[in-house]
Amino acid sequence: MDHIEVALDHAQSLGAEYADIRIQKTRKETIYLVDLSLKNTSMNSQHGYGIRVMKNGAWGFAHSSIFTKDEVKKTVESAVKVAELSAKIKKGKGIRLAPERGYIDTYSTKIRIDPFTVPLSEKVDLMLEVNKTLMNYAKIKRAFFMLENYNDDKFFASTLGTRIHSNIYYVYPMIIASAVDKNDSQSRQFDPGGYAAGWEHILKMDLIEKAPSIAEEAIMKLEADEPGEIRRRDLILDPHHLGLTMHESVGHPTELDRVLGWEADMAGVSFATPEKLKKYRYGSDIVNFVGDNTLSFGLATAGYDDDGVPGQKWYIIKEGILNEYGSTRDSRPFLDDGMSRGCCRATNYFDFPINRIPNLYLEPGKKRLSPQELIADTEDGIYIEGRGSFSIDQHRVNFQFGGDMFWEIKNGKKVRPLKDVLYKSNNPEFWNSCDAICDERYWKDFGVNNCGKGQPMQASRMTHGASTARFKNIRVGGSK
Amino acid sequence: MKKEIQKAAKFIEKHCTADDYTLSVYSYDAEMTRYAQNMITQNMSGLRHGVSLDVSYGNKTGSARINSFDEAELKRMIETAQNIAKLNKPDPEFVPSAKKTKIPKTDNISENTAKANMKDMVSVIKQIVDNAEKKKAFVSGLVTKTVTDFYLKTKNGFEAFDTSTEFDNSMTMADNKSKETKVSRSVKDINDYCVKDEIALLNSQFDALTKPKKIEAGQYNVILRPQAVLNFFMFLLYFFDRKTADYGISAMAGQTGKNMFGKKFTLQSRLDEKDITVSPFSGGGVAARNIDWVKDGVLRELVTDRSYAAKIKAEPNFISNIIIRGGKATEEEMMKKVKNGLIINNFWYIRNVSTRKNEITGLTRDGIYYFENGKIKHSVNNLRFNEIIHRASSNILMLGKEFNIAANTKVPTMLIKDFTFADTTTF
Ligand SMILES: [Zn+2]
Repeated sequence: MDHIEVALDHAQSLGAEYADIRIQKTRKETIYLVDLSLKNTSMNSQHGYGIRVMKNGAWGFAHSSIFTKDEVKKTVESAVKVAELSAKIKKGKGIRLAPERGYIDTYSTKIRIDPFTVPLSEKVDLMLEVNKTLMNYAKIKRAFFMLENYNDDKFFASTLGTRIHSNIYYVYPMIIASAVDKNDSQSRQFDPGGYAAGWEHILKMDLIEKAPSIAEEAIMKLEADEPGEIRRRDLILDPHHLGLTMHESVGHPTELDRVLGWEADMAGVSFATPEKLKKYRYGSDIVNFVGDNTLSFGLATAGYDDDGVPGQKWYIIKEGILNEYGSTRDSRPFLDDGMSRGCCRATNYFDFPINRIPNLYLEPGKKRLSPQELIADTEDGIYIEGRGSFSIDQHRVNFQFGGDMFWEIKNGKKVRPLKDVLYKSNNPEFWNSCDAICDERYWKDFGVNNCGKGQPMQASRMTHGASTARFKNIRVGGSK
Repeated sequence: MKKEIQKAAKFIEKHCTADDYTLSVYSYDAEMTRYAQNMITQNMSGLRHGVSLDVSYGNKTGSARINSFDEAELKRMIETAQNIAKLNKPDPEFVPSAKKTKIPKTDNISENTAKANMKDMVSVIKQIVDNAEKKKAFVSGLVTKTVTDFYLKTKNGFEAFDTSTEFDNSMTMADNKSKETKVSRSVKDINDYCVKDEIALLNSQFDALTKPKKIEAGQYNVILRPQAVLNFFMFLLYFFDRKTADYGISAMAGQTGKNMFGKKFTLQSRLDEKDITVSPFSGGGVAARNIDWVKDGVLRELVTDRSYAAKIKAEPNFISNIIIRGGKATEEEMMKKVKNGLIINNFWYIRNVSTRKNEITGLTRDGIYYFENGKIKHSVNNLRFNEIIHRASSNILMLGKEFNIAANTKVPTMLIKDFTFADTTTF
């Protein structure tokens, strides 16, 4: 606690208009199993702090892992010096911060079984059993299983009087089966992403029971036909697949820092510019996207963000219209006088926090509708499960997405599996072509653990969710 | 070598009781300043390090990693790694740690870069922003200076240390309409970075852009500038390991020794290549050597780690730096060689489409120009390519001078015929 007061007092005595300190202790257990070989079983821990100061309308940031009074002061001084230098190149008043008040609070992920207390043998036995099951199939040439258990113990304090302690967990299993025959190789994945919970979540997944279908579908893809020429037909996309499409085509374009051009050199900019707010038809009437950093199992949920702004829930797209961005305290004032939506996050203690995608989901349809009924209602289409080859331009308009498993739909029936399917679409065509969304019984979440953004690149996390939905008349086919 | 690293190595040697161990330490001293829309938006400075220990009892392994040299922390790291190994299941593909190995001498350090500070970086940015304002444009980017130490020691006698320095600037200049272009470069020695030259290059790319004319998907002759060449061909390296090939998963399956690539395509790693750095050893304890991965179109070697090398009785290797061999052609000569085509500054968001076919997808970015009869005519809208990497290499018509695109990478400009664009875009 001492270090916090030292840091904030010292920053203010050096003329900082605002300062915060983030002390972060991260533990990550990772187990890599390739076939039956334990390639890496490791426990990584990282402990340090980042100090951010605002002076003369510019940010300064410095970090350290040495916890002494002198080092804390030195780190503050280096952050202040950096801010002073940066202030020499600024436009107008430079960077300002959206209004916020101080909070004293704590937040913890709800866990029943601490994944770090589960014996290693229990984890490894589960993984070996899954890979053995996969490798029992002659055509499965490689089985891959990664398990990650994560904990962030973080203390955030700012010159607004904020003092927040948070204790965040997630668990993350990923399984890939690669099938090979003379002419082709195909893989099938089980990759739900991370989930903010304890080991109880892994137990609920019945991974050993899931293994045979992962292997069988990988092999099925070897034998499957390619979809042929690109032509327009309907797409039915499962929640897992939609997690990726919304991430790329809704999540990133509605990050306010991108809209402002702050990512122009790397991640890119956004077509969803401010004059389109409350007017632009992003999707059809049934398309509602919610930013929700209060979601209990969400990977972006931490009670507060790294600006000390509380987690919130708001419409990003409402009844198809672009409604609001995800913002931070430093991005929002460039738009208007509003408050931050609490999307400021850093991955590691040594990272500068930036504007990130919140937990973002598509609201389920209001009419009773199941995926089976949706397929039965489709004459000529392709049903896609899971994430595959995905690529989108730097303005977040034109994209080409693949998937992990594909089924041809003819006259209301899944008639045969397909492989190497790609579809090409863009904003606003894609979300406007959405004509049916299954109801809340079929809503499912998916975690993203590797959202790369920023320079230097930070891999951030957030959760998405959707019910299976249909998109009419999209260009879909093989690669050429 | 840093004193802390030596001390940590001694401490591990004394306290680690496992049958075998590999200690790796890195320290990363960085200053970074990010600018956007003609102002500085973010920055950071600080030293960070990672100490990582892999241990084994028989063929049971465990690892732990911390970010401190504190003795109590080191002790906890040893215990954690040892406890994991003791409780773990055996690894059937286990190999003992690397033995004493002769490591090639390298010259990866520049004192000039090591000495550079935030003031120098801000002065670079000032010139770039002033230029953008004169052009009535907006510039965004990142200036970075890093000093990286890497140390590796094993119980079996391997010990090696390397320090490298790098100065890097990446900048994108755009107007509020359709012009958007980027120049980036990283160098070992900051004195080799001439901000005026880089600005001139940025301006020339920017000035050549016009309001883009609509162009449809199809096959086009392309002149890929170095950044585009790097991003396209580097994707090959994601599936470039021997094991994945031997399993039949990648396109390299059964291709070693064969003319898989075009005759004009040579990909190498070199110990003594002028102007570029080399990693003298890998994290697994393999010493760098000269390797022809692809020579005149023939696939010669694939990446092989120590574990797989032991299994198939081959020499292990790794990619210590990247050189794609060039030629002498200038861009003007390339434009004259074919009737028309596209000049591409960069590719973006490249992803795998089919591992077995070696097919990838991605979009053009940072400016694309149409040329005809030896002259640039106008800009065109961006396009999406879906292309097979080795097919594109077989269609190389001409190679330009090699260019140091990154501190450890050299690639030429290329003229490639019939490059496949599968889709047009809206801007
Ligand atoms: Zn992302």
